[in-house]
Amino acid sequence: MAGLADWFERFVDELPNTAIMKFMAANILVPYWAWRTPVKPQPGGPHYSVQPGDNVQHMMNLIMPLKDKSAVGRATAALAIAANKDEIYAGLDNVGTVHFARFVIVGDNICMFSVYDGDFTNYIRDFIATIGSVFDAVVSLVEGGEDVIPSERNVEKFIDWVHAHDLYQVSDQATDLFRDIEAVNGETEITRDLRLLPRDLILQLHVNPNVSLGSGYRAYPGYSVAQVREQFGIGW
Amino acid sequence: MFDVTDVQGNILRGYRQPRVRHLILAVADATEARSWLGATVSGAGSVPQVTSQAPWDEKPSVCFNIGLTFEGLRALGAASSSLASFPTEFVEGMTARAEKLGDIGDSAPEHWPAPFDKPRDVHLIASIYAKDVADLDRVQGQALQNGRAFRLLGVREGFNFHGDYVHFGYHDNISQPRFAEIHDPADYPDPQPMAPLGTVLLGYPNNFEGLLWRVPDPVALGRNGTFNAFRVLAQDVVGFESYLTEAAKYLLTQRGVDELLPPGDEGKIGPGLSREAALREIVAAQMCGRWRNGVPLAKSPDTPYPEPPLPEEQLNNFDYPAASGCPYSSHIRRSNPRDAQIVQRVANNSRRLVRRGMPYGPPYDPDKPDAADAPERGLLGNFIGASLGAQFEAMCTDWVNVGLQDPRVTGSNDPLIGANARETGWFDVVLKSGNTFRLRSLPRFVRTRGGAYTFLPSISAIRYLGSLGK
Repeated sequence: MAGLADWFERFVDELPNTAIMKFMAANILVPYWAWRTPVKPQPGGPHYSVQPGDNVQHMMNLIMPLKDKSAVGRATAALAIAANKDEIYAGLDNVGTVHFARFVIVGDNICMFSVYDGDFTNYIRDFIATIGSVFDAVVSLVEGGEDVIPSERNVEKFIDWVHAHDLYQVSDQATDLFRDIEAVNGETEITRDLRLLPRDLILQLHVNPNVSLGSGYRAYPGYSVAQVREQFGIGW
Repeated sequence: MFDVTDVQGNILRGYRQPRVRHLILAVADATEARSWLGATVSGAGSVPQVTSQAPWDEKPSVCFNIGLTFEGLRALGAASSSLASFPTEFVEGMTARAEKLGDIGDSAPEHWPAPFDKPRDVHLIASIYAKDVADLDRVQGQALQNGRAFRLLGVREGFNFHGDYVHFGYHDNISQPRFAEIHDPADYPDPQPMAPLGTVLLGYPNNFEGLLWRVPDPVALGRNGTFNAFRVLAQDVVGFESYLTEAAKYLLTQRGVDELLPPGDEGKIGPGLSREAALREIVAAQMCGRWRNGVPLAKSPDTPYPEPPLPEEQLNNFDYPAASGCPYSSHIRRSNPRDAQIVQRVANNSRRLVRRGMPYGPPYDPDKPDAADAPERGLLGNFIGASLGAQFEAMCTDWVNVGLQDPRVTGSNDPLIGANARETGWFDVVLKSGNTFRLRSLPRFVRTRGGAYTFLPSISAIRYLGSLGK
């Protein structure tokens, strides 16, 4: 009997890895769950910390689908960045809170990844005030971008739009997903069942296919741009 | 063409009335509430008339103003397209922005007393400004005579107990934005640039060159309106005063304290002060950026009683050059860095706010310690600006807390109003040489006890809201 029980346990353990179960989970179970329990996508960006020292070196991960999904469209995006290189440097210098900014084309998306200090809306607003034209040049090539440019005349809408394209940062602390779900649903009481955490994660990834895993990892404590510049004696 | 008579009267000038009563209201019947709003434009049917910015020869004995929350606009029946045109921070409301504002721990909205424990019920805040309580009572009675329009959820009442002094013992209300379009009879010298009208009114250019804030739809509703962060801020005066003592005792043990206060100079800080008492006042001054009598450290870093004396009109006549006597860590420099070098170079002057506040609760008497059940004291603050996100929130998130504007304060919070905690709070007392004494275990002195983001509609907008559904 013990042999049969062992076999059955092994069978159950292996079941999720079988082709038939994988197929059923992806094509039947998850869509059914998603239909039964609609899930709100989590907003993007870092979770604001109550500790002032934690609010530096935040990550922004914008994934923006290009209108023109051909090689020509990707080349146009590449050209828009290259043509604005000097403005980007000037903008980074003047905004004063950005450590790094990178533009990457992945598939049919133009992506902007950056590391910045402080509040997201302040960062984007200061950037619009400094080099809004660069944002406009990039965003004009992106699906839905025409509704929010020129950024200088659509500041609030533009910031909301960028925020909506910023990836949700899945916390390293698994149960923080509950905190985020409660926040987005406006729930005030903790009612979630810990056993359903994997399902909640799968449903979130169902509505939010692109996410950031964690909020970025550093090899040293967080410092602001100006603190780094001051330490190196290069002015801030 | 800017029409001053279209703007509510508490935005571009302060009434300087000694008392205020804020009525926190929920719309009970939308039709009745709209009629009431329409009547406030003219004061018809003995409903109190909203005070506008129209010039007066003689100050009225009572002033009356209203602010609406997003839920209030919805309850009044504003169209969904109109509601959608308001900025996200206003739509979400103050409680949803708690972490950004430092409303955490015992300042978190879940600890706010009624009526702010149910933020979605707060629809309208009607504010009565008057000289005495009888006037407040009379106007409240007039405002609520039609019991069907609103439910009174709660009341917050403040009074100016000692001129422009606030509970922590400082002379306040010295610096406000000035506007080219508004005649300022006092016209005290102030090197700060005139604030564009768009700093506090929707529909005009603001401090960010080329940027325009969205005017909510329709224009009749949005234009000449503005936003207000109404805050109930409890002040722990006992905690503040005891921290000053703690700090002074610590400084007395430090080598180099003589640079901060040369022996024999105690009398410059105040007549008959001991060394410890003088150091307490120096710490209090560095925390604020002004001595308690309002004299700015930028003009008089060594004494609150400069010779010749600094007259009232000179209290705002300063900037922050590199060698300013005002510590970069002080409250007034953090919340308004004027022309100081700051990290966010485009942000100088962009986060300015009009502040209209009044203390509440009994004044602190150092000779009579508070009983355990002593009433709360603090400030009923209105922080007014055309963009809550670009002004009030921007100031709270990156400057008051975090301290991003200057690498020397990054990682610390405002010493007076910041979301400090004993475990992590610190403040640097700055010496002339540039050296600092770091004061640690800095607790939180100001707790949030309620509040709401409100829209302060223009007179035209109140008329418009009153006409909805007709």
